[in-house]
Amino acid sequence: MSLLRVDDVSKSFGGLRAVDHVSLELVEREILGMIGPNGAGKTTLFSVIAGSIPASSGSVFLRERRISGLPANRVVAAGVVRTHQIVRPFTNLTVLENVMVGAMFGSPESRGNPRRRAHEELSFVGLADRAEHPPLGLTLVARKRLELARALATGPRVLLLDEVMAGVNPAEGIEMTKLIRIIRDQRGISIIMIEHILAAVMSVSDRVVVLDYGKKIAQGKPAEVVRDPKVISAYLGEQSAAAKSPQRARREEEAP
Amino acid sequence: MSALRRLRPDWLSPSAAAAFLVTIGLLHALPHVFQLSPYDHNQITLAFIFLAAALAWNWIGGFAGQVSFGHAAMFGVGGFVAARIAQAQLVPFWLTWLVGGVAAGAYGLAWGHPTLRLRGPYFSIATIGVGEATRLVATYWQGFTGGASGLALPIDAGLKHALYWYALYFLALVAIGSYAIRNSRVGLGLMSIKSDVEAAADVGVPVVFSQDLVLFLSSAVVGVAGGIYASYFSFIEPTDMFGFDRSISFVLMAVIGGVGTVFGPALGAVVFVLLRLYLIATYPHLYLGLYGALLVLVVLFEPLGISGLIFRVARRLRAQRSAT
Repeated sequence: MSLLRVDDVSKSFGGLRAVDHVSLELVEREILGMIGPNGAGKTTLFSVIAGSIPASSGSVFLRERRISGLPANRVVAAGVVRTHQIVRPFTNLTVLENVMVGAMFGSPESRGNPRRRAHEELSFVGLADRAEHPPLGLTLVARKRLELARALATGPRVLLLDEVMAGVNPAEGIEMTKLIRIIRDQRGISIIMIEHILAAVMSVSDRVVVLDYGKKIAQGKPAEVVRDPKVISAYLGEQSAAAKSPQRARREEEAP
Repeated sequence: MSALRRLRPDWLSPSAAAAFLVTIGLLHALPHVFQLSPYDHNQITLAFIFLAAALAWNWIGGFAGQVSFGHAAMFGVGGFVAARIAQAQLVPFWLTWLVGGVAAGAYGLAWGHPTLRLRGPYFSIATIGVGEATRLVATYWQGFTGGASGLALPIDAGLKHALYWYALYFLALVAIGSYAIRNSRVGLGLMSIKSDVEAAADVGVPVVFSQDLVLFLSSAVVGVAGGIYASYFSFIEPTDMFGFDRSISFVLMAVIGGVGTVFGPALGAVVFVLLRLYLIATYPHLYLGLYGALLVLVVLFEPLGISGLIFRVARRLRAQRSAT
């Protein structure tokens, strides 16, 4: 049975259909990679799942409970949490307090002693020695880890990771990949990750879905997906793609 | 002893609690020990009322970062509701304050729930509108507020003297409330909302509930302050209660003392009250302008006000001590 089910979700901003009738499923202990060119609607889909913005149509279910339509804080309480592509630490709080916010307001069963839980999460992501620092003093990769710790502190069953490896050097990226596997293997958390670094997604994902212009154009095992002609044309813009999609041809002409 | 330790929340340091109790004790004893002139006695009473209001303003303006320029509305609602009930002379005076406070809290919630989704300057502008609209309605609603001629309360000279202690203990409660809110789950949520409202919601902070709750509490306390103020003067009128300069005064006290710090607004209120006495006596026409200049200076050079200065000195002293 699927843990998270996205059922025919669309999201329009005025005339722009950012997410166009997307359905997907995430099973227990799965890592699902989500790829697609810039502007494909990946982050918008995350925002809809996390309750940050309402869907224009369609539903999202966690187990059999409908979570679309709930405000973001109740989606978190239900067990789905997201991280942000551009890290957003609370700059007026210490690193520890940042994580405590997640521990205090997360899913009810994970609250316990928030200070202790925050310390545990900081050790888990390797930031234990920074607990009392302000988050602005951290390096980018450390801030990404902080964002991860804060999300983990909410006690999620589903973690939505939005480009945790962007802007991180290759060695740090490998560390991050290891951490993601540990989150799934040791803590049993299911993950959907948006990532542009294909090598990273391919190595860590059980399955991959590909979005382009808001539509799901492919899904399957990583090795199959990268050979899919639709995916190749979405990324590389073959001649055939230009013929099929006048919209894309126009955009490519405008691009420098 | 261990039972006591269990009662004490882990954020409350024993030395801070002791300092607080000593301060309240000294202030309690002050009129008994020194022969305060009626003028000083009254000025200190008023200062207590405004200190409490400034601390409560800071819950929404400082902790949640939603700067309200309309808190005079709740000061007035609390004051007039309390005054109306006091005129009936059916209930004890403290109950009139309480009812005034609840009415002010409800009023704050009524306009706050829809406007709190605005942030930053947009929310502030909305509060200016609310404050001015409330003032106009109050001025024209003669049946309730007495209009421009105001309302007189039954005079009770004994109560006026005793208000010193009532106001002091009201202030003590509000100070404890400030400390408790800042260190509570709600307080941490508010700090995260102030920093990034979307990121806060994304880790589970109930943004709407937290802001509504704290605006209700802040409004209620400012309403009680308005009620005590009404008892103190035995006469109130809308222009004084609902005036825009009263709203500004709450903002100024908090800004001078340190927005968002726990006790900064109280320090700011002390400075404000003293400065006001001096400025009104010496430059009666200029004093609001001088406040404006002070506000600009604080924002430019020390955004955390007096608290910021204290933090800075403390840091320097600590650095010196570790250097030697």
